[in-house]
Amino acid sequence: MTTRAGNIGTFVSERGRRGSALRIVVILSIVTVLMLYVGGKVQFYRLGYKIHTLEQEKKDLERSNRSLRIEASSLSSPARIEDIAVKRLGMVRPAKENIVMVKRKTLPKR
Amino acid sequence: MLMGLGFLIVALRLVHLQVFERAELSLRAERQQERLIKLEPKRGTIYDRMGRELAVSLDVDSVYGVPSEVNDPHATARRLSGILHEDPRAIEKRLAGDKNFVWLSRKVEPGKAAKVKELGSNEIGIRPEARRFYPKKALAGPVLGFTGVDNQGLEGLERAYDKVLRGVNGWVLAEKDAVGRMVFPGGPGLQYKQPKSGNDIMLTIDEVLQHITEKELDATLLSSHAKGGVCIVMNPQTGEILALSVRAAGGKQAFNPNEPQRSKPAEWRNRAVTDAFEPGSIFKVVLASAALEEKVVHPQERFDCSAGKIQVADRVISDAHKKGVLTFTDVIAESSNVGTIKVALRLGRERYAKYITAFGFGKKTGVEMPGEISGQLKDFRLWSGVSIASIAIGQEIGVTPMQMAAAYCALANGGMLMKPYVVAEIVDLEGKEGKKFGPQPVGRAITEETCAKVNKMMQRVVEAGTGQKAKPAGYTAAGKTGTAQKIDQRTGLYSKKDYVSSFVGFVPARTPKLVILVMIDTPEGDIYGGSVAAPMFRSIAEQSLAYLQVTPDDLGGRMLLVAK
Repeated sequence: MTTRAGNIGTFVSERGRRGSALRIVVILSIVTVLMLYVGGKVQFYRLGYKIHTLEQEKKDLERSNRSLRIEASSLSSPARIEDIAVKRLGMVRPAKENIVMVKRKTLPKR
Repeated sequence: MLMGLGFLIVALRLVHLQVFERAELSLRAERQQERLIKLEPKRGTIYDRMGRELAVSLDVDSVYGVPSEVNDPHATARRLSGILHEDPRAIEKRLAGDKNFVWLSRKVEPGKAAKVKELGSNEIGIRPEARRFYPKKALAGPVLGFTGVDNQGLEGLERAYDKVLRGVNGWVLAEKDAVGRMVFPGGPGLQYKQPKSGNDIMLTIDEVLQHITEKELDATLLSSHAKGGVCIVMNPQTGEILALSVRAAGGKQAFNPNEPQRSKPAEWRNRAVTDAFEPGSIFKVVLASAALEEKVVHPQERFDCSAGKIQVADRVISDAHKKGVLTFTDVIAESSNVGTIKVALRLGRERYAKYITAFGFGKKTGVEMPGEISGQLKDFRLWSGVSIASIAIGQEIGVTPMQMAAAYCALANGGMLMKPYVVAEIVDLEGKEGKKFGPQPVGRAITEETCAKVNKMMQRVVEAGTGQKAKPAGYTAAGKTGTAQKIDQRTGLYSKKDYVSSFVGFVPARTPKLVILVMIDTPEGDIYGGSVAAPMFRSIAEQSLAYLQVTPDDLGGRMLLVAK
C-alpha cells in the first residue's frame, strides 16, 4: 500500500519478517539449549552405566584372581607336594648313610 | 465449555500435586530411587612366616529374596529348592510376608548361583559376600581357628585378632533407574564412606615345619592308639613358635577350619594352652637347674638309689626300675625318682618354689591364643609334707605344654625365659605403618653357667639314658623323657594304665636352633616317653633341621675334606 510516507506495505511486511526471524532464532536457541541439557544428562547417565559395568568387570576379575591364588595356594600345600613326591615320583628321605658332609679346606699360600 | 472445564480440573490437579503434595512425593521418589549400598571391607589375610597364605577371604554369591514382590511363594520355593537343595517349606516360609529382603541361602557354590541367575526373576537376587577359605585345609587348624557366617572370628587367632582382621564397613548412596540398575552420581553431592580393609597378619609359624609336626603326630597317634597329642616347635633364642600341632583323638580326621560344623569343640580346642597336665619326669630338669644354681649338689655327686624307693612323709615313692649308685647326672639321665627326691629335700620347698616360678610355671605365658590357662601350682606355704617330693618328679603340679616348651627354651638359650609368640607382624593395608613383634625376655631363670651344666646332663639323657631313641642322625641333642601317670577321674587316684608320654628337648645340643616338645596322651601298649615320644622327636628334628639347612654337628667322623 503506497502512502505519502512511502510504501508502508513493504515496511510492515519487512518488520513482520524481521520479527518472525527473531522468534525462530529464539525458539531454535531454546530448543538447542534444551537438547544440549538433556543430551548432557543422557550422556552422564550412560557414562555412569558404563563405569558401573566396568567396575563390575573389575570386581569379577579381582574375584577370579583371588580364587586362582587360593587354588594355587592349596595345590602347593606341603602335604600334597609330599604325597606326589612319594607316591608318584617315588622319592624318599635320604638315609643317614647317604649323607656325606663336605668341608672345604683352604690350602696355605705358597 | 466442557473441554474447558476438563482442562481446568486437570490444571487444578497438577497444581495440587506439584505444589501442595510436592514434599511428600519427592521423598517417596527418593526412597524408591535411592539405595544405601553397604560396602564390606576385605578381611585381612593370615600368612605364615614365609608369606604363604593360610587364611584368605573371597567373595562368593549369596541368594536373597524380596517377599513383598513374590506373587506365588510356593511355586518360587519349589523352583529354588531344586537348585539350592534346601527344604522348600523353609524357603516358602521365608518368602511369605511383606519384607523387602530375606536371605535364602548364603555363600553358595558358583554353580548354584549361576542357576539362580538364569531364572531371571525380579523376586530373587544374588549378592556377593565374603567367605573365609583355608587353602591348606587342616594345616594349623586349631591355631588359626575359624570364622562364622558373618565373618566374625569365633576361635583361635581369627577370634584373638578379630578386630585387627575385620576392617570397617563403608557405604555409598546410589540411585536406581527404572530397570533397577545402580548409578552412582558423582560430584560434590556424592554421599560415600570408604570401607577400611582389615589388616593382614604374618605369623611366626612355618608351613613346612607345621606339616612335619602334624604328619609325625598323626603317625604316632595311629601307631600308639593314643587319645591325642600336642607337639610344639620353638626358636629358643627368640620365643617364636615355629609349629604347633594339636590332635584330639588318634585316627579321626584332623580339624579342618573350612568345615567347622563337622567337628566337635574338643577337636578344635588348642590343648597346648587350654589344658594342663602333670608333666612327670620332664619336670625333673627344673629341680636339677634349681639345685645346681643353689649349689646344693654337684653333677658328679653320687647318690645311692639301690633301694629303689624312698619314703617321704606318709608316702613311698619308687623308681620304675631299680638302679644302683648314680651320679646326679645319671640320676637325671636314668630318671631316678629316688635320687631326684633326695636332692629336692636338700634344696627345700622355698628355694625350689622360687625356681619353679622363675621358669614361668603357675602363670600364663601371655601367648596370643584364646583360652590360655595358668596351670596349677600351690603356694609353697600350702605344700604338704610330700608335696616337695611329688612336685620334684612332676606330680601334684599342672602345667600346659606351652609353659613346658617355654621353660625348655630357657634351658636351651642360656637361662633366659622368653615369652612365646605366634604373631610376627600386623600389616596395615592402607599403607600406614603396621606393627612388628619381636623377642620379649621375661626374666632370667638361671645363670649361663648352670645352664651349661644342665645342658650336659640332658645330653647324657640322649647319649646313654632313657632318651636314646631321640637322637637325630647327624646331630647332637639334649632333652628329657617323661612318663606321667594320669589321675583316674572316677577314683581320684593315679591310674595304673593311663599315662602321658613325653619328650622335650633341643637340637643341636651345643648350639640349639629348635626346642621340640612332644606329648602323647594315653598311648596303649608301650607307655614310656623314651619309646613313644622320643622317636617322634627324632623324626621331627631330622626333617626340620634338614629343611632349615642346619649343618650337622655329629656325623661321627663321616666327613670328606676337600682341598680348595
